[in-house]
Order: sequence, then C-alpha cells, then structure tokens
Amino acid sequence: MTKLIRPLQFISVLVLLFSAAWFVAASESSFIDTVKNSDGPFDNRSVTAVQPITDETVLAQELYQGGSFRVLTRKQDIERYRCSSCHTEKSVLARNAQELTHGNVVVNHGQEGNNLGCIDCHHPEKRDFLEDKKRRKIDFDHSYQLCGQCHFRQKRDWLGGAHGKRVSYWTGDRVVYNCTTCHDPHSPRFEKRYPATYSVPLN
Amino acid sequence: MSSKEKESVAMNAQDVMETASSRRSFIKGLSLAAAAGSAALATGCIPDAGAGSTEEMKIRWQEFFKKNYRLMSQKEKDDTVFRLERLVKLHDEMRIQVGTEEPIAKVLYGYAFNITRCEGFMECVTACVRENNLDRKTNTQYIRIFEMEPGKLDPSTGDGTYFHKVPVDNKFYMGTQCFHCENAPCTKACPTKATWMEPDGIVVVDYDWCIGCRYCQAACPYYGRRFNWGEAEVPKDEITIKQHYLGNRKRPKGKMEKCTFCIQRTRKGRLPACVEACPTGSRVFGNLLDPDSEIRYVLKHKKVFRMKDEIGTEPKFWYFID
Repeated sequence: MTKLIRPLQFISVLVLLFSAAWFVAASESSFIDTVKNSDGPFDNRSVTAVQPITDETVLAQELYQGGSFRVLTRKQDIERYRCSSCHTEKSVLARNAQELTHGNVVVNHGQEGNNLGCIDCHHPEKRDFLEDKKRRKIDFDHSYQLCGQCHFRQKRDWLGGAHGKRVSYWTGDRVVYNCTTCHDPHSPRFEKRYPATYSVPLN
Repeated sequence: MSSKEKESVAMNAQDVMETASSRRSFIKGLSLAAAAGSAALATGCIPDAGAGSTEEMKIRWQEFFKKNYRLMSQKEKDDTVFRLERLVKLHDEMRIQVGTEEPIAKVLYGYAFNITRCEGFMECVTACVRENNLDRKTNTQYIRIFEMEPGKLDPSTGDGTYFHKVPVDNKFYMGTQCFHCENAPCTKACPTKATWMEPDGIVVVDYDWCIGCRYCQAACPYYGRRFNWGEAEVPKDEITIKQHYLGNRKRPKGKMEKCTFCIQRTRKGRLPACVEACPTGSRVFGNLLDPDSEIRYVLKHKKVFRMKDEIGTEPKFWYFID
C-alpha cells in the first residue's frame, strides 16, 4: 500500500508546485489589468483647465456610456436656413429658382446607380426639418438620428467614441462633432486630395 | 559630505554665479572649464562665449548647473522656467510660457488609431510640427504615416514617403509615433536617466540632461525617437508660445526628442494636436482609467492590436479596425 502512496504523494507535490508557479506567472501584473480593474468613475469636471467650448452646441437626444453629451450644431452653417422663408404653403414660382438656390448641391450619396433624392432625407412638407423612414420629424442639429437609420454601425461607434471625435478636450463635459461637421450630407465620402505635407526617407 | 557641507558648497556656487562678472573674467572662468572638459565644450553643452549680453551668459551659466527635472523642487522649477523664458526674451525678443504642469491624478493616457478610417491626408503631421516647434529645415516629424498594402500590418513593408492624391484604392494607411510603452526599453537604455515615464503614462525627455548618445533611439523598436542635429529653425510667427518643460520648449542642439502626447496640451485637458487636426476621426485619445472614456470604448468593443505586442513593451497605443 505504502509503495503506491509514495508516487501519488510525489505527483501531488509536483502538481502543487506547478500550479503555484503558473499562478505566479499568470498574476504577473500587466498594466492592462490595472486598466480593466479601474472601474471607479473619473470625475471629468475635476480638470479645471478645461474651458467651455465656444462653438454652438446642443444637448444630444441620446446617451453614451457616460450619460448625456452635447453635439456641435448644424443650422448656423446652412446658408439658406430657415428654409420656410421661401418654402411656404404656396408653391415657388420664381423662374430657375431651383438652379439659382440649390444648383450647387451635388448628390453623391447612396449606392451606385441608386442615388438618394431630396425627400429621402428632407421633410416633404415642413422644409425646416428632416424626415426619417418612420416619418419622424428630425431637427437639422440632430441629424445623427436620421443618418443612423442606415449607418447604424457608424452611429453606434459614434455614440461610444470610436467614430468621429470630441471637440478640443479629452475631458470635461463631452462635446462631439455632429455627422455633418465632417461629412457633406449630399456627398459624404471625402474627396481625394494631396496630403498636407510629405515625409523624408527614414535614414 | 554632510548635508550642511553640501549646502554651503551649493551656496558658494550660487554666490559665484550671481556675482556680476565682467566679460573678461567670465571668459577666463570659461577657459578653465574648457580645459577641464574641452570635449564637452565641443558638443555645445557649456554655454558658448558667443552669447550676447552679460545677463544672457549669466543665465546660461546658471542653467548649466540645474538639476534633473525629477529632482527639482517647485521653487527650482519656477526658477528655471523664469530663466528659460528670459533667455528666449533676450535672444529672440519673444514672450513664451513654459509650463511645469504636474500629471493629473487617476489619469493614464492611451491612444488608438483607426486603420480603416485613416486616409493618409497627413494633417496630423503638419499639426504636430506646428505644435511642437519642430525643425523646418530638416523636416523633422514625430509622426509618420505609411501607405500599406492590404493584409500587411508591419509598417516597414509600407511606403512612408508617398506624395500623391490619397486615399489610393485598395491601400490603407497606418500612423506611427512614440507609443509611450508602459515597459519602455528607451528609458532603461538611457545612461543619464534623462528619459522616464511620468505617472500619467507619458514618456518624456529632460532635454537638459540628455547627452545625445542616442542609446534610446537604438533601443526603441518602433522608431519613435528623433535626434536633432541642431537647434530647431522655426519661423518666428509660427512658434507655439504655450510650452511645457518636458514638451515642446526649445530643445538645445544634439538632443533626443519625440512625441510627448502634447504634454503641454493634455495636462490641461486638451487633445493632442494630431487628434484635433485629424479630419477623419481616426485618432482616439483619452484616459484609460476612466471606464466611460472613448479609448476604453474602443478597447472594449473594437478589434484592436498593438505593434510588436510579443516583445512585451506594452505600448499604450492600439490600432483598431471598424
């Protein structure tokens, strides 16, 4: 009997030693663990050097993982806003009105050969607003609600912070760029152009 | 040497430095110093006799004896900041602000780069050059953007010197800079302890303690460090006035420099210049210790990888794809 127990003891000691060694190796702390374990909220208002954003912003109608946030507004950049100053109940009768006012709009948005039309996004009656496919009236400053119905992945990333960007500060109250701050809604893809500078060879 | 003796020696040195000396006697002292270390003089470490006014020479002399930044008391930091600002005023007739902001508590900076979104416009590079007062003559850049073949993830296979309309179809763009490794090999290579990692994770260089041996450059696996062969030439109206002692202040000749996550900005809550300039939103910066931050969102929800992860340098710079 004892002959059998001896090797068993030996093996169990070995197992213990190895598991201890493995445990030590595994618990060798990486800073990634520190990062993962730091779930205490960081007070983003504690950095006193942060100044208020001077651009016009509006409280977003959705939340991100840290609560409410603000987005840059859009309306002040729309040249002919308010649209209802021309688009009234009556139909517009001026000659060449469309070419003269909206002739610069080139729509290059949507799949090839299947470009979007005006009222795919603009409200057909209330011209001061946009309209989504569920016929909800959407404000120009909250266009993410409209864009997100097709570009839902981008919207999800934008809410979280992997798409788009914050304005000026990494901390403080969160203010982010609106979809239309970067993208021309009529032609959202960036045009090809020369880089801003060049680099010299490495060595 | 007892601490009291040390103090008295320091006092004497201070007296010597602060007594007004004529140009002649100053040069005499200098020539003695030169005899003691002519090699050091040749590298430009000792204030040169060509310096303009007596005040400038005096300040340069005092600057020569200051401590490593990490050993300085706040008073000593303030003194050297005053001297640095005064030197620029005397020499370039310019008013600058050199900051010594401390790390913010509970902050560890992290950076993520979206290789799907970057289109190679290089606006980050120009913004970085402007912000950090980099040498325009040699075209020093802390950031490098590589044009990459699909499927390749090693920038050494990419083209780092492209200049044509971008983005090119079926290519992607990958930016490199200092990755601010948590286990940084460069800081271990430094023989004078002139480079270290700050508590908020930024790897910095004390330009006045750097001897320009470039061991750190050899140790860096990411080509993150740059050596300057001369003082930076920057047009006067393009100089960034808000500076930091460990950041974009005027570097003396023959020093190592690199990306500091724009320490002069980030410690005031601002985004680094590259992040602010990026037109595509490919660059994400934030506090790794804040679970609600954008950088934490990226790490949690996107496919991320780090360059040369297997060598254990633990860079705080991740690449991610959409």
